[in-house]
Amino acid sequence: MRDRVPGLQALRRVQSGVGGALSVARERSDRAYGSVPAMLRLALIAALLFAVPYYVNPMSGEVLFDARWLVVFRLVGLYIMLGIGLNIVVGYAGLLDLGYVAFFASGAYLYALLASPVSPAIDFPIEDVRWLFWAILPTALVLGAVIGVLLGIPVLPLRGDYLAIVTLGFGEIIRLFLVNKTDVTGGSQGLYRVQAPPLPDPLNDLTVSAHKEWYIFIVIGIFLVAFCAGRLRDSRMGRAWEAIREDEEVAASMGVNTVKYKLYAFAMGAAIGSLGGSISAAFTGSAIPDSFDLLVSINVLSLIVIGGMGSTQGVVLGAFILIGMPEFLRFREAADLLDLIDPLVPFADTRDWAVQIRDNRFVVFGALLVLVMVLRPVGIVASKRRKLEADWAEQTAGAV
Amino acid sequence: MSAVAEAILETKGLTRRFAGVTALANLDLTVKAGSIAGLIGPNGAGKTTLFNVVTGFYPPDEGSIVLDGHHIEKMPPHVITAIGMSRTFQNIRLFANMTALENVLVGQHLHADFVAKTIPETEAGEVIELSMAGMLAYRALFPARAVWEVLATVARTPRVRQVERKAVEDSLRVLEFVGLKGRHDELARNLPYGDQRRLEIARALATKPKLLLLDEPTAGMNPHESQEVVGLIRAVRDQLGMSVLLIEHQMRVVMGVCENITVLDYGEKIAEGPPEAVQRDKKVIEAYLGSAGVRGDDDAAEA
Repeated sequence: MRDRVPGLQALRRVQSGVGGALSVARERSDRAYGSVPAMLRLALIAALLFAVPYYVNPMSGEVLFDARWLVVFRLVGLYIMLGIGLNIVVGYAGLLDLGYVAFFASGAYLYALLASPVSPAIDFPIEDVRWLFWAILPTALVLGAVIGVLLGIPVLPLRGDYLAIVTLGFGEIIRLFLVNKTDVTGGSQGLYRVQAPPLPDPLNDLTVSAHKEWYIFIVIGIFLVAFCAGRLRDSRMGRAWEAIREDEEVAASMGVNTVKYKLYAFAMGAAIGSLGGSISAAFTGSAIPDSFDLLVSINVLSLIVIGGMGSTQGVVLGAFILIGMPEFLRFREAADLLDLIDPLVPFADTRDWAVQIRDNRFVVFGALLVLVMVLRPVGIVASKRRKLEADWAEQTAGAV
Repeated sequence: MSAVAEAILETKGLTRRFAGVTALANLDLTVKAGSIAGLIGPNGAGKTTLFNVVTGFYPPDEGSIVLDGHHIEKMPPHVITAIGMSRTFQNIRLFANMTALENVLVGQHLHADFVAKTIPETEAGEVIELSMAGMLAYRALFPARAVWEVLATVARTPRVRQVERKAVEDSLRVLEFVGLKGRHDELARNLPYGDQRRLEIARALATKPKLLLLDEPTAGMNPHESQEVVGLIRAVRDQLGMSVLLIEHQMRVVMGVCENITVLDYGEKIAEGPPEAVQRDKKVIEAYLGSAGVRGDDDAAEA
C-alpha cells in the first residue's frame, strides 16, 4: 500500500502543476520577491524527479521501482546541479564561461585526494570517510568560490567573446595541471578507489541497488542548490546581475559595483560546480583528468542553452535531453519502440538507430542546438525575462 | 550644502581627448549647490562628453573634478554615484526588460545595502573617509562581508526583508514623485516615450544624489510634455533639495528653468552667466547660427 502513494501523489502534482504553470505563464507579478509559485515549481520538479523511477506493473497493478533510472538520473542529476551553477554565471549575470569544468575538477580532486588510497597528497589512507565526506561538501563550496574569485579577478575586465576564450583556456590549464603535476595529483591515470561514504537510506523498504541513496542525495542537493540560486536571483544581488546583463555601464552609474557583483556570480557558479565535483568523485569512485575535458563545459552550457537560459526548469529539461537521452537509448523499452516502428520506415533498419544515435550523439546534439536556436532561441523552457528580451529583439528588428 | 554659494561640482582645467579630437578643452565649470544649471551648445560641443567624464565613464586626461568636496577624477562610476551624483542618458538607457519598479530598485542599490549597516562606512566611505589602516582593515574584511551578504541573501533574514521592503516603498514613492504612480509593474520598454524619460529620472533620483545630471530630458517631447518636465525639475530642486545640471536643446526649457547657463563649443566654454546675458552673447549666437546670425535679434538663439 505504501508503495502506491508516491506514484499517485506525483500524478496529482503533475496535474495541478500543469494547470498552475499555465495560469502563471502570462503573469509577471509572480516574479515578485519570495513568491510562492516559484517555490511550488521547485517542489514540483523535485517531486517529479523522485517519482519518475516508479512505475505500475500493468499485470498486477503494483507500483514498482525501476533501478535502471537511478543510473541515468544520478548522472543527469549531477549535470542539473552543474547547470544550475553555470546558469548563475551565464543566465543571470550574462558572463559566458567556457571553463566551468575547472571548478568541477577542483571539487572532484579535493575529495579524491583525501579519500583515495592511491592519493599522493597524503600518506595515511583515511579509513572512515563518513565524516570526511560531509566535511568536504562545505569545503568544496568554499574552495570553488575562492578559485572562482581568483579566476574572476584577472578576467572580469574582459567581455563577451574574450571572456569566453580566457575561461576556456583556464579550463584546459586546470586539466593539464592535473595530468602533469604527477606528484600531487597522481597524473593522467588519475585517482581511483575513491571511497564513498554510506549514505542514509530513507527509502529502505524498496529493494534497489546502491545507486538509490546517491539518487536521493542528488535530488535533495539539486533542490537545495536551486533554492539558493532562486533566492539569489530574486534579491538585490540578482537585480544587480540583471542590471549588469542589461547594460553594464548604466548599472555602474546606478551605484552597482559591477566588478564585485560579477565576482559574486563567478564565485557562486564555481562553488556549485565544485560541490558537484566532490559528489561526483565520491559516487563514481574516481577522479581522472580525461573526464574533465572541455566537453564537460560544453555539455553544461549546451543543456542550459537548449533548456532555456536563466530558467531552472530549462536546466532540468536540458539535462534530461542531452545527458539522459543517450542513456535512455540503452533501455529495453527504447529498443522495443524502435522495433515497433521498424515496419513503418521502409528504407532503414530502425533497430540500429539507438546505437547510431548513441554513437553519433554529438552530431545529434549539434543538430538539436541548431534546431533550438532557429526555432526557439530562448530555449525550450524560456525564463520569463529571456523570453521578453527575445520578443523585444524581434519587435525592434521588425520596426527597423 | 550648508553655505549658500558653495559649489556642489567644480571642474578645473578639465581636458579629454579622443585620438586627435579634443572633446573637452581646459574646461572650468562650477555648479552652485542648490541651483539649476544649464549646459548648452551646438551638436558635438562636448556636453555629453562632460557628463561622461564627470560621472567616471571616461577618465579625464587632465584637470580636476571636485564633487561635494571630494576629488573624484580617478574614481569609478559606482563610487561617484555613492558620493552623490547620478545621471540620465540622452538616448534612453533603461533596463528595458525590467519593470519600472525594478529599474528604480537598481537605483536604490546603494541604499538597500543590508551589509553596510554592520560596517560604519559605505563603499564611498571606504575610499574617502578611512585612514590607510582603516582602509586595509576594511578590505581585509571583504571576504567576511561577501560571505555574509551571500548567506543573508539566501537565508533572507528579517533584516534583508526589512531593507528590501523599505527599498520597494521608497521606490514606489520616487515613482509617484515623477508621476508614474501605478505603473510600477510595467516593463520599462512598454512605457510611452515620455514616461521612459520620467523613469530614467526616477531611477537617477533613487540613488539619492546631491547633484542630478539630466541629458536632454525633454528631447522629442511636445511643448506640453516639456513643460511638465520643467515642473518636475523644479520640484527636484525645491522639494528634494538636489542641485541639477541639465543639457538641453529646447531654449524655452533652458531659459525658463536654469539660473545659470554654460555654453560649450568645440569643447571650450564660450559663455557663462544668467539666461538673459547668455542669450544676448555674440559668441553664443555665432556658435549657433554662424557669423551671419550676429546681426539678428535676441530670439535668434531660440531658432
